Amino acid sequence: MEVFLQTLVAGVLKGGLYALIGLGMTLIMGVMGIINLAHGQFMMVAMYITYALFHFFGLDPYTTLIISMPSLFLLGVLIQKYLLNPLMKVESILPENQVLMTVGIAMVLTEIARFIFSSNYLSVRTSYSSSAFYVGGISFSVALTVAFGFTCFLTISLFWFLIKTDLGRSIRAVSQDSEAAELMGIDSGRIKVITMGIGAGLVAAAGTLLLPIYYLFPDIGGPFTRKAFIITILGGLGSTVGAIFGGLTLGLAESFGATYIGMDFEDLVGLVIFLLVLLFIPGGFRRFTKV
Amino acid sequence: MLKVEGLNVSYGDLQVLWDVSFEVKEGEIVVLLGANGAGKSTTLKTVSSLVKPTVGSVEFLGVRLDRIPSHEVINYGLAHVPEGRRLFPDMTVEENLIVGSLTREAKSKRKKTLEWLYDIFPRLRERIKQPTGTLSGGEQQMVAIARGLMSLPKLIMFDEPSLGLAPIMVTEIFKVVEMVNREGVTVLLVEQNVHHTLAMCDRAYVLENGRITLSGTGEEFLNNDHIKEAYLGI
Ligand SMILES: Nc1ncnc2c1ncn2[C@@H]1O[C@H](COP(=O)(O)OP(=O)(O)O)[C@@H](O)[C@H]1O
Ligand SMILES: [Mg+2]
Repeated sequence: MEVFLQTLVAGVLKGGLYALIGLGMTLIMGVMGIINLAHGQFMMVAMYITYALFHFFGLDPYTTLIISMPSLFLLGVLIQKYLLNPLMKVESILPENQVLMTVGIAMVLTEIARFIFSSNYLSVRTSYSSSAFYVGGISFSVALTVAFGFTCFLTISLFWFLIKTDLGRSIRAVSQDSEAAELMGIDSGRIKVITMGIGAGLVAAAGTLLLPIYYLFPDIGGPFTRKAFIITILGGLGSTVGAIFGGLTLGLAESFGATYIGMDFEDLVGLVIFLLVLLFIPGGFRRFTKV
Repeated sequence: MLKVEGLNVSYGDLQVLWDVSFEVKEGEIVVLLGANGAGKSTTLKTVSSLVKPTVGSVEFLGVRLDRIPSHEVINYGLAHVPEGRRLFPDMTVEENLIVGSLTREAKSKRKKTLEWLYDIFPRLRERIKQPTGTLSGGEQQMVAIARGLMSLPKLIMFDEPSLGLAPIMVTEIFKVVEMVNREGVTVLLVEQNVHHTLAMCDRAYVLENGRITLSGTGEEFLNNDHIKEAYLGI
C-alpha cells in the first residue's frame, strides 16, 4: 500500500510538470493547427538559460523563471512572426510545411546549444535538489513539490487569462474558427504570434522547474517533444483541460510503469497508454471536457 | 453607403465573379438573390476583405475596404454574419457575444448592448452559460445575428440566415432582420428564400453564375416573369 501511494504521489507530481509542457503545445495546436515539433527544444533552451544564470551568476534556479519565461516568450514570438506566419501566406504551401519548419527550428536550437555548451551532461545542484519531506510515511521531493505548486499557479492563471480577458477569448476564438474571428476584428496573425510566445513561455517554466532534479544536454529536447506530443494527443488535440488530464495520465503511467514493471520500461508504459487511448478513446480526453 | 464596383474574383484559376457592381444606400434593406454556387457568399466575403478581388473596388463610407485587412473592416461599422453561422462552438452564448464587441466603441458599450440584445432574444438570456455548439439551429442563428450586432454596426450583412431552419424559425429570423433595420441599421441580405425577402426589401439584385443579371425594387421583382419562373416557381 505504501509503495502504491508513493508511486501515486511521484506520478502526480511529475504529471503536473507534464501538464505544463502539454498545455503550451495544446494551445499552439489549437490556434495554429500544427504540432510544434520544437516544443521540447524550447524547453531545452530555457534549461540552458537557467543553467547559465545559476553557473555564472549564482542565481537560484527558481529565481531564473523571471528571465527564462520572458526570454522564451520572446523566442516564440520571433519564430512565429518571422518563420512560421510568412509560410502561411503562401497559399500553395500546406500546413505540413510549417511542421517541417518546426523540425528545422528544433535542429538549429539543438546545434546552437551544442556549439555553446558542448555535448556534456550538465546539472544544477542546489540544497533542495535531493531533499524530501515526509507526510504519513510518504516522501515528497521538495523540488518536485515546489514545481507542482508553481505549475498549479501557472495553470490557474492561464485559465483565468483564457476565460476572463478579451485577449484570452480572442485566442480561443481563433482556435475555434479563425475566419469568423477575423470577422470579429481579431487579427489572427497577431494572435498566433502571442500564442506561440505563451506556449514557449509555459514550457520554459517546466524546463526551469525540472532542472534542479534533472540533467541537461543538447539532445534533451527530442524526448520532451515526444512526451508533449503524446500528452497533446491524449488530451484530444487542442483541449486545454484535456492536456492537464493527458499530462497527469502520462506522469502516472510512467511512475507506475517504473515501480511495478521496471525502470527501463518507464517510457514504454507511456507509449502503451498512448496507443490504448488512441484505440479505445479516439479523440482523447477531450470528450470529457468543454474548455 | 456601400458601393461595390466591377468586382472580378477568382479562387486560384477558377473565376467565380465577373464585373459585379451594386450599391446599398443608408437605411435600406437590399437583397442579393441567387441559386447555390452563384457567388453570393464570395461577394460578401469580398466586401469583408476575406477574399481579395483581382479587379474592382469595395467602398464603404468612403473607405476602400478591399485595401485593408479583413480584421479591420469591423472598425468602420460593417458587420458580416457568415453563412453557416460560424459560432465559436465551445464558447458560451455570452462569450460569443462578447467576442462580437472587441472594437473600442463596442467594448465601452458592451453591457448596454448585451441587455438590448437579450431583450430582443429572450431565449438567449435563458441560455447565457450554454456552449453554442449545443444549441438548436434557430438559436444558433440568433446568436450569430446578435454577435454581429454587438459591434454596433452601421451596415450588417446576413448570408442565408434562414438556411436549414424550420419554417416557423425562418419567419422569426426575417422578423428580426426587419426589426434590426427599423433600429437604424442598414441591411444587405443574401438569400435563396425569395418569398419572404422580396416582400420586405427595398431593392434586390440577382446574381447568376457570378454575374449580376437583374436589379430593381422588391415590387418590380415580384412582378417580373423571369423571377416568377426561376425563383418563385409560379
Ligand atoms: N474557397 C473556395 N475555393 C474554391 N472555390 C470556391 C471556394 N468557395 C467557393 N468556391 C466556388 O465558387 C463558386 C461560388 O461559391 P459561393 O460564393 O459560395 O456561392 P453561393 O454562396 O452563391 O452558393 C462555387 O462554384 C464554389 O464552388
Ligand atoms: Mg453561399
